[in-house]
Amino acid sequence: MRPQPPATTPAVVTSSPSDGSGGPGESAGPAGSAGQWGLAVAVGLLLAAVGLRPVLAEQFARPAVANWATIFVAIVVQAMPFLALGVVVSGAIAAFVPPSLVGRLMPRRAVVAVPAAALAGAALPGCECGSIPVARRLMSRGVAPSAALTFLLAAPAINPVVLVSTAVAFPGQPVMVLARFLAGSGTAVLVGLLWAGLGDDRLLARAMRAEPESGSSRLAVFAATARGDLLSAGGFLVIGAAAAATLQTAVPRDAVDAFASSPVLAVLALAALAVLLSICSEADAFVAAGLRQFSLTARLVFLVVGPMVDLKLVALHAGTFGRRFALRFAPLTLVCAIAVGSLVGWWLL
Amino acid sequence: MSPEAGSTTVLLVGALLIRLVLTGDYLRYVRGGMGPWLVAAGALLVVLGVTGLVAAVRRRADVPVAVAGAGPGDPDGHDGDGDGDGDGHGHGSQWVGWLLLAPVLALLLVTPPALGSFGVDRTAPGVRISSGGALFRPLAAGAEPVPLTLLEFGERAGDRSGASFGPARVRLTGFVAVPADGEGVRLARYQIACCAADAVATVVRVVGLPGATPARDTWLTVVGTYRGTGPDGVPELTVVDAERIPPPVDPYET
Repeated sequence: MRPQPPATTPAVVTSSPSDGSGGPGESAGPAGSAGQWGLAVAVGLLLAAVGLRPVLAEQFARPAVANWATIFVAIVVQAMPFLALGVVVSGAIAAFVPPSLVGRLMPRRAVVAVPAAALAGAALPGCECGSIPVARRLMSRGVAPSAALTFLLAAPAINPVVLVSTAVAFPGQPVMVLARFLAGSGTAVLVGLLWAGLGDDRLLARAMRAEPESGSSRLAVFAATARGDLLSAGGFLVIGAAAAATLQTAVPRDAVDAFASSPVLAVLALAALAVLLSICSEADAFVAAGLRQFSLTARLVFLVVGPMVDLKLVALHAGTFGRRFALRFAPLTLVCAIAVGSLVGWWLL
Repeated sequence: MSPEAGSTTVLLVGALLIRLVLTGDYLRYVRGGMGPWLVAAGALLVVLGVTGLVAAVRRRADVPVAVAGAGPGDPDGHDGDGDGDGDGHGHGSQWVGWLLLAPVLALLLVTPPALGSFGVDRTAPGVRISSGGALFRPLAAGAEPVPLTLLEFGERAGDRSGASFGPARVRLTGFVAVPADGEGVRLARYQIACCAADAVATVVRVVGLPGATPARDTWLTVVGTYRGTGPDGVPELTVVDAERIPPPVDPYET
């Protein structure tokens, strides 16, 4: 084994200049076995991509492919600032908040902790991608999973930016903002309480595991946590964005119009649309405002479901908390969101 | 993902975000207001990537003695994961970081274009315009045509059957979505609220275009007067003057 690192070093060094991005590639020395493979894969990928460029360009000249690529890139680019905010908060929690403090601040009983978490979620101005690393970090710092999950759902659904954009998208209908706030926080609390009563925290064991004290400086912990969270959340964001772009390209949006006339089908159709479109929670109000052929209640359900369950979120949940968790959490949240949204809509709208 | 590969990926994504804003290409994907946020996020990622690379290189410089003492292979695995990624999950969930290179490659190699005519027919709800109860003031019928967004043109058409247009001439800018649309050409432009994924198209039928019929996705600036609304609900413009233009910097109406 010993001669191996020197043997592969020249390969790594020679491949660096050819990858076009020079600097970053060069600094990777004789990495561990995973690192060597990783760099080789990256360089190979870059070379293949450069070689295939004419073929790619030809493919991208086709309108459907171009449409897919534009939506795919747009979702990723648009989510990046929010993801960056999320990993900064997550890294700051990991580096600067001692677990003992969280234990003292957070109420022990779920009945108190879950509503408190919903309120805390309302204060984080971000969209759904950013709240996932934060929720996971809260769990690893000893916050009860039910409360962390409530925070996860509440933060993108009812934060100030989202409520303001809803008010802008529905001018003259301030009741829509109130309805969104009530239905969003109601769903988040309901799911949290259900999870506290019926959920299996063992499914979240990976996220709840406290990180070992690494002994590095706080700044180093902050940077490493933020980087790690960004890579894992960003990767799953890419999966979700690809799925959403595929559906947007393949399925015309007016395919759901046929369901608009029946009150029940309208609610279900817009819930399904919210899951498939995977629009950022800060923009979904504008899309909902455009779906004029649907009832206000159906559009409210669209606004409640979208920030909590959609393709990119399920991919992110599966990646962050585990597949088995996501398979239970997504249907639970979807049913709760449709029920609470319909109820609030029937009452207020 | 090794710390080096992870940090390099983060650095690349950050650099690319900044490049997108510098070249102005970001306007194909998101609203103009996102520019500063993209730069801030990009700068943060660049810092995270560079510090990660520096830390990894330093550790590598320190490590060889320790490696020689321990068994082969194993210490690298520990080093690569526990310290570098710092968040305690194993390789199993870190492979996904590689996927971030997909949008990076897409942007570096082809830079996908702004949304074009392909999606216009797929965002049907946008065609249904009503003025939302707002009453528009009459347009000034001066010598200069009034520049309007396609959205406002449609809204005014929906407001009291277009009474607010009067005899005024308006100027519209959009791309050709359907070259042969009944009597004219269907012009379209997207409105985006946040990013291209939520784009909704507004369409206007332009009647009486001089010269040869332009191809799909040609950008036009047309001057004309409101003609009425077609049987399919698309508002129409009678053209006085038309000009082919290069695609505008911001292809969307916001």
